[in-house]
Amino acid sequence: MADSDYEFEGDNGSDDEYVAAKSKSNPRPPPTGKKRAEEPPRKLHAWETDRSRTVAKELPAVAEADDGSIQRSVQEREEERKRKRLRKDTKPFQRGIIRHVVLVLDLSESMMEKDMRPNRFITMIKYTQEYVREFFEQNPISQMSVLGMHDGLCIRVSELSGNPAEHIAAIQDLRTPRNPEGVPKEPKGSPSLQNALELARATIYHTPSHGTREVILVFGSLLSLDPGDIHQTIKACVRDRIRVSVVGMGARLRICQEIVSRTNAGDESEYVVATDQESLRELLLATTTPPVVRSDQAATTASSDSAAALMMMGFPSRVIEDVPTMCACHGILTTGGYRCSRCSAKVCSLPITCPSCQLTLLLSTHLARSYHHLFPLRNWVAVSWNRALEQGSRECVGCLSAFPEKPTTKGDVSKNEAGDAQKENASLDKTARATGEQQADKDDSQDQKASESSRYECRACESHFCVDCDIFCHMVLHNCPGCLSKLNPVPEAHSNGDAGMTG
Amino acid sequence: MNAIDGTDRQIKTDNSPPPSLLAIVLDTNPHAWAHLSSTLPLRNALANILVFINAHLASGNANEVVVIAAHSHRAVFLYPTPKTPTPRNNSNGNGNGAANGDVDMNETGAGSMEDGGPKDVSISDNPNKYRPFAVVESAILQNFAALLDATTPAHLAATPTTLIGGALSLALSYIAKSTLLRSPLDSVVDNPLSALADSETLHTKRESLTSRILIVSVSGDLANQYIPVMNSIFAAQRKRIPIDILKLAGDTVLLQQASDATGGVYMKPDRPEGLLQYLMMAFLPDTTARRSLVMPSAGGVDFRAACFCHRNVVDIGYVCSVCLSIFCTSDLPSNLCLTCGSYLSLRSAQTNPPALVPRKKKKKKRAGGADSTTPGGSTPAGSGTPMHS
Repeated sequence: MADSDYEFEGDNGSDDEYVAAKSKSNPRPPPTGKKRAEEPPRKLHAWETDRSRTVAKELPAVAEADDGSIQRSVQEREEERKRKRLRKDTKPFQRGIIRHVVLVLDLSESMMEKDMRPNRFITMIKYTQEYVREFFEQNPISQMSVLGMHDGLCIRVSELSGNPAEHIAAIQDLRTPRNPEGVPKEPKGSPSLQNALELARATIYHTPSHGTREVILVFGSLLSLDPGDIHQTIKACVRDRIRVSVVGMGARLRICQEIVSRTNAGDESEYVVATDQESLRELLLATTTPPVVRSDQAATTASSDSAAALMMMGFPSRVIEDVPTMCACHGILTTGGYRCSRCSAKVCSLPITCPSCQLTLLLSTHLARSYHHLFPLRNWVAVSWNRALEQGSRECVGCLSAFPEKPTTKGDVSKNEAGDAQKENASLDKTARATGEQQADKDDSQDQKASESSRYECRACESHFCVDCDIFCHMVLHNCPGCLSKLNPVPEAHSNGDAGMTG
Repeated sequence: MNAIDGTDRQIKTDNSPPPSLLAIVLDTNPHAWAHLSSTLPLRNALANILVFINAHLASGNANEVVVIAAHSHRAVFLYPTPKTPTPRNNSNGNGNGAANGDVDMNETGAGSMEDGGPKDVSISDNPNKYRPFAVVESAILQNFAALLDATTPAHLAATPTTLIGGALSLALSYIAKSTLLRSPLDSVVDNPLSALADSETLHTKRESLTSRILIVSVSGDLANQYIPVMNSIFAAQRKRIPIDILKLAGDTVLLQQASDATGGVYMKPDRPEGLLQYLMMAFLPDTTARRSLVMPSAGGVDFRAACFCHRNVVDIGYVCSVCLSIFCTSDLPSNLCLTCGSYLSLRSAQTNPPALVPRKKKKKKRAGGADSTTPGGSTPAGSGTPMHS
């Protein structure tokens, strides 16, 4: 049953995951060793990704994990799932830090489907609010607008702005209107991709060229009711260098695939399909990472208008007042706020574009918030039992929680395995030293698996961490506690285990 | 029936405040303490901090403490005591590596007993001392002495700064794990690793943990750790962990921003010798208690940015859109960014006319006219969408 899923993968050399997945049925999976050598990038269809495979794959895994307990393999899978999201952010690329995003929500009748609880619409409303918050957390100097599709129309839910509270309130209003006369929006009618793209295009038409222009579509329907030729619209989007990402539900659509691939220079990885609500949330949150700036895009835009720009920004100082004064942004009386460095208008909160002189106002801390995209923390690698014994690590460097000891119950099997593993490890170490940096880069692209010893190692400082610290450090902290706790652990490497920025 | 039966059969709810985890980051930079030694010797400061820790532990049964030393060349846990790893000497095993795999296990086991030893032995059997206090106290003193013994003149000569960034990262990851283990959601129960770690609290009703970080800072310049410290600040902000700063000497804007961004207390006492009083009055209340207290605030925080080219403090700066470097002037040498080397033009950023603004005024005049800049901008209705090839 599990195997039948893999027959769709025509590309050669793509059996890396296949082998790894199968080796789960062995009593003790050997360390991934040489298998991490070459993994050509390949495109997976949504139904081929690990997430959808889990159902087919994991049932036998539970049954056949006869070495330890079932609990052990359950824990491994839990860790694997946790680590899955870590895969994305680690390659050092030039990223579009200043983003202009139009979030398009599907409000058509297909959102009444109950495959997500209580239904798709409510799930989407819930997760998009979280998404907006996370988006501005990650991209504080970016702009967003929210649109909605229903009845063949595309409506504007919130205007293009950099204030997350406005968007969250507007999305909330769709379901529970604040003013008593308002009626909660029920999903109805059909969506129109063309109208949505046209309205989105108009929304971000005027944005400066150094920022990205993105459309993120949450699309639950399997149809699009368009007034004209959508291919013309796609062409226009490509011309305006708008990148479209689609988070679908239920099934893939040919037209979405075409929209995504045309606007992303042939890359279809921006079209993903959520199979359940948890995956919807994860796929949405994955788009909070700023997109990689494509080199071809830079080349084309450089000819007409330089992609990079020097932006004038104000760093205002805070004013503390005893008497309330009018703020320029809302026109209400407030005490305290920030005074624009150029025109001295008072604004309530930052970051904001000065309402009177259009200067971008922010704090230097807002700029610092984006630095972790520029200097991402390298992925940590799973530690084999052999490596764990070699280092003798007994507790997590970050949180001091004890690591499990190596199970000693399985006498001869583990010995043989250990021997094999050791040889493999030795050869791996040699290659690691030989190729050096290159090897480290390959580790980054390696799929994130759960570690058999529940340890994860930072390549730069050789500290071992537990899975919770791994998640925390990569998702929230963006620091390696091990590297930072030593003065120059590896002199030639960038401190913090960061990957340097290329391009 | 209920009226007759006078006993209150409701489940007894615990009204005590939630347990509080205090992470103390102690800046132990030898240079800075040497400067301070005339007013506040390190010995006195440490004694005061121990009293403060005892006060924190005494103010709630479930309160916990973690102490981290930010030294000049390392950042280490002082309490709880970390187990030192026992690396296997014959790494990169040859053929016989497999044979003595079990022997290695025994070695590590023996090592752990040795390491665990001193902690138990050293606790003085003073019957007049509350045992948890004694445990914390002896662990901190021993680990601190070990840290100082391990510091060589070469380490001191290498750097004048302190690894605050590393210590903050350690504190945050420790707090994150503790919060995870204590979270009311029982999502971690199926994880045997966590069950192992808090076996005694597993079956009790979990209460959420309130945490805070106190940095006792004596050293000044942290510019070389700007990004790690900033990352830590944002992590604390996201996890709603206030960072309190007690600045005994030196001055850094970075730590001011830390306390301001996370809602902590910033204090720079004029007389460092009154350390204990500052600690007790300003830093003992936890986040639950602070809601009903007026806490000292830093007042004005300097948020202005320093430019990367001349270190000038600027009101209006020019920012590279690729790497977000701040410059004080717009004419860079041959228009290249000094940090990332990309070609920058000021023009493309300034031509930023919002296309929608002029349209509104001329709407009546141009009704139906060719509005080439904003196709479909005002006409969401499907039929009216203009086409562009």
